[in-house]
Amino acid sequence: MFDITGLMIFTVLFPFVGALLIPILKHFKLDSGKVALFTAAGTFVSAFLLCYYVSFGLFPVYRIPMPLGMDFHLLGDAMSAFMAAAASFLSFIIMYYSQGYIKESAYKAEFYFAAMLFLGAMMGLVFSANLAWIFVFWEITALCSWRLVGYFRADSDIAKANKTFLITVFGALFLFLALVAIANSNGTIDLTELRGATIPFYATLFIILAAFSKSAIFPFSSWLPDAGVAPSPVTALLHAAVLVKIGVFAFAKIFTFIILDITAAELVMYVAAISSLIAGAAALKETNIKRVIAYSTISQLGFIFFAIAIGGGLGTTAAFLFILMHGVAKGGLFLCAGIIEHKTHTKDITKMGGLAKVMPITALAFGFCALSVMGIPPFGGFFSKFMVFLAAAGEAPTMAIVLFAFAALLTLAYLTRLFHIVFIASPKQNFTKSKHEAPHQMMISVSVLAILSLLLGLFVQWPLGYLSTMFGGAL
Amino acid sequence: MLLNGIFVIIPVIGAVICAFLNKQKQAPGLLANIILLFGFLISLHIFFMSLGQEWFFGEDVLSAFMLIMIYMVALAVAFFAVFAASTKRRGSYFAILLVITAGMAGVVCSQDLFTLYVFLEVVAVASFVLIAFYNREKSTEGAIRYFYLSSIASAFILFAISLLLLYTGDTTYEGLVKTILQTQGNSAPLNIILGTLAVALMIKTGLFPFHSWTPDAYESASSPISALLAGIVTKVAGTYALVLVCMLLSIVNFGIEHNTVGKAIMWFGLGSIVFGALAAQEQKDFKRMLAYSSISQMGYITIAAALATPLAMAGALFHIFNHATFKTLLFFCAGNVKKATGTTAINEMRGLQEKMPYTSATATIGMLATAGLPPFSGFWSKLFIIAALWQAGFIGMSVTALFASVLTLAYFLKLQRGMFFGSASKNIANVKEQGMGFLIPCFALAFIIIAVGIYFPFIYNNFLSPFIKVLQ
Repeated sequence: MFDITGLMIFTVLFPFVGALLIPILKHFKLDSGKVALFTAAGTFVSAFLLCYYVSFGLFPVYRIPMPLGMDFHLLGDAMSAFMAAAASFLSFIIMYYSQGYIKESAYKAEFYFAAMLFLGAMMGLVFSANLAWIFVFWEITALCSWRLVGYFRADSDIAKANKTFLITVFGALFLFLALVAIANSNGTIDLTELRGATIPFYATLFIILAAFSKSAIFPFSSWLPDAGVAPSPVTALLHAAVLVKIGVFAFAKIFTFIILDITAAELVMYVAAISSLIAGAAALKETNIKRVIAYSTISQLGFIFFAIAIGGGLGTTAAFLFILMHGVAKGGLFLCAGIIEHKTHTKDITKMGGLAKVMPITALAFGFCALSVMGIPPFGGFFSKFMVFLAAAGEAPTMAIVLFAFAALLTLAYLTRLFHIVFIASPKQNFTKSKHEAPHQMMISVSVLAILSLLLGLFVQWPLGYLSTMFGGAL
Repeated sequence: MLLNGIFVIIPVIGAVICAFLNKQKQAPGLLANIILLFGFLISLHIFFMSLGQEWFFGEDVLSAFMLIMIYMVALAVAFFAVFAASTKRRGSYFAILLVITAGMAGVVCSQDLFTLYVFLEVVAVASFVLIAFYNREKSTEGAIRYFYLSSIASAFILFAISLLLLYTGDTTYEGLVKTILQTQGNSAPLNIILGTLAVALMIKTGLFPFHSWTPDAYESASSPISALLAGIVTKVAGTYALVLVCMLLSIVNFGIEHNTVGKAIMWFGLGSIVFGALAAQEQKDFKRMLAYSSISQMGYITIAAALATPLAMAGALFHIFNHATFKTLLFFCAGNVKKATGTTAINEMRGLQEKMPYTSATATIGMLATAGLPPFSGFWSKLFIIAALWQAGFIGMSVTALFASVLTLAYFLKLQRGMFFGSASKNIANVKEQGMGFLIPCFALAFIIIAVGIYFPFIYNNFLSPFIKVLQ
């Protein structure tokens, strides 16, 4: 009999071990990047296997008793396994991209160390079923993102890294308050013991605030565009694919156990809608390529919150499908932005133009990912957005649906504008075409993500089927 | 516990021998280290031997816990000082270090308020000498400031103890508890007396608004001495005694509601937390910033001690332990920076991380632990304290104390940016990482911080829960 609990523990521990090995193996002249790549690959394989076994209804549980109800409690349910597989897959691709992007520097080992620690914390967070440990892992991710965003050491970079760190820690303290409040009102902070319980309204609000701050929903969104000073793989890892999904994931996970107050749910819908609209409008005006994509992330995260707030099998299915599709496509966009920056040495889109001729593969990959984010069939993003509106129909207030429809239109507008200015418009300066657009690892990574955006749409029945069976959201 | 006497007597004997070895270079340091290591191991041994035995009131669990901490920090400081102390009078230096250790051991071992007072004075006098050891103008000024405030505190303590003697006829803890239990209902005089005592001890702890001596003393003393002062002396001479007073207070009006004096102390604690964190933002010197950070962290301990529920007491003790480790570590790092670059001014040199990676990494760990970020030890003690405050209904205080940790993080990030991270400035081209002698204590403390943070039940089950059991 295959030890599925061991598999779960391996998924959580392996990245941590890898992270600790990076500085040690560095002394033996082993490339940190390769170690990180190997670690990420191992994590993805085990998370994927776990995802597969979970579909048979085997849910691994692991528990280390600790005083005062703070048991270290890992629970591998479908939601967690799916999230772990998606996050570790994207981390793997991004680590592969980094092989070409991160040059030899004094901070190379630190970069991979922080990235692997981040992956480990993410895995820990995903499987934790105790609020105290969710908080612990939550903060470790914040810690790693601080070091990752502050990779470049110019003063303004460090300042922005610190800003990111302070805002996310400030937001996380609401989760801390929530866990103290829940411990006081319900006597336990273990999610499995809280199944079907109701918690005080203010505790719900605290959790929502914490999730908003981590997932950069207005009014906590200002750190995300600023964090774009980070190297592109970092932005892709943290601000598109993995870190910003922590807030939505924790929100979804906590409220599958605890009953979500209906007023709170509507509040989330409206705030998320407003956030999506504001971010979409900001993306229309912005001229820094990474900031446009960052605003787009904020806007898309609103949809995920919307789907989770709708709840039920269909809403949850839609939310997780959206997490997957958006992670793949948005990760691709950020990585393409990295290639463009690499080539043009600027982030200012007003200085670009006509890049489709200079870098056709990047343009194509960017186009695919953009189409997916816009929600154009047959790309993956279409199905996730469609599912969100399907779940919303009849369940959510009409006003919220209308607002989100506008947000979806805005997505179309700003991504078309971005693509036009960068790739098609007449060039402001002459970029010469070279044989290689970028190191091959970078090109392969973005191509994989672009093709995947399409394939996930063409074969949408697999992820959709998996999710809807697991969450009971039959069509 | 007769055995506790050895923790006082042996360092004193060691001090006498050290004083005779004044001309020797290595011998005093070696002797001091051996004695302290020996004391540390014995204290651990005694603690684990006596687990599960029943004692009155729990001071003995508490003293054993404090003894372990005193010897741990003193050992780290003595080890660091062997390399860091550049003085010709090494004999006197280590002799006074041993005397101060003996004094602290005396404070935590005494079972009588008057004995406590005597040892407090031993610690205070030894501290003045250590702060002013190098005869520099600034450090003498710091020492004198400490001396003035400390003597006011001593006068208060003596006054309170004599009143207590008049009122209850006894100064032993056991006798006091008995009398207090008998005089339930007429608590006003006791509240006033214990309140006076608490104010005096707040001066010794360096709580806001009695903090003015701490930044000067910490900044002007040499780094091992500031580490000792911030790491353990103010905790033993101030906070530990304050915890005792709070425990006495908690049984005055027992079971009725939270004591007025206790509540007042909590407000002082909260004031310290916020003031210390705000004042630290403006500091331009590493060690001064650490001093204000200490004021802020002492506030957390005080607020929990004054609340005096079992969970709060556990939080207070845990935080004493954690603060002892991370603040000592941070002062060591400041010492390393000072030794390597000649200054501890923030923003004067940047990018030290490239030249001093280990100091920078351990300092970062210490800072994040102070800010209460998991997975470091400071998080769990802060969690206990905040949860205890919330549980007891002091929700406003608990939220304020919690969000003050963002302020803590903010000033440390400022420091990080101005000193360790950032692009390397030119004036640090010749800076080198310190030798192993300086780094080993840092590594050891950083290890404790991370290990406790990852597996906090080790401390909780072994040290805190026996104490809580006795309390209940």
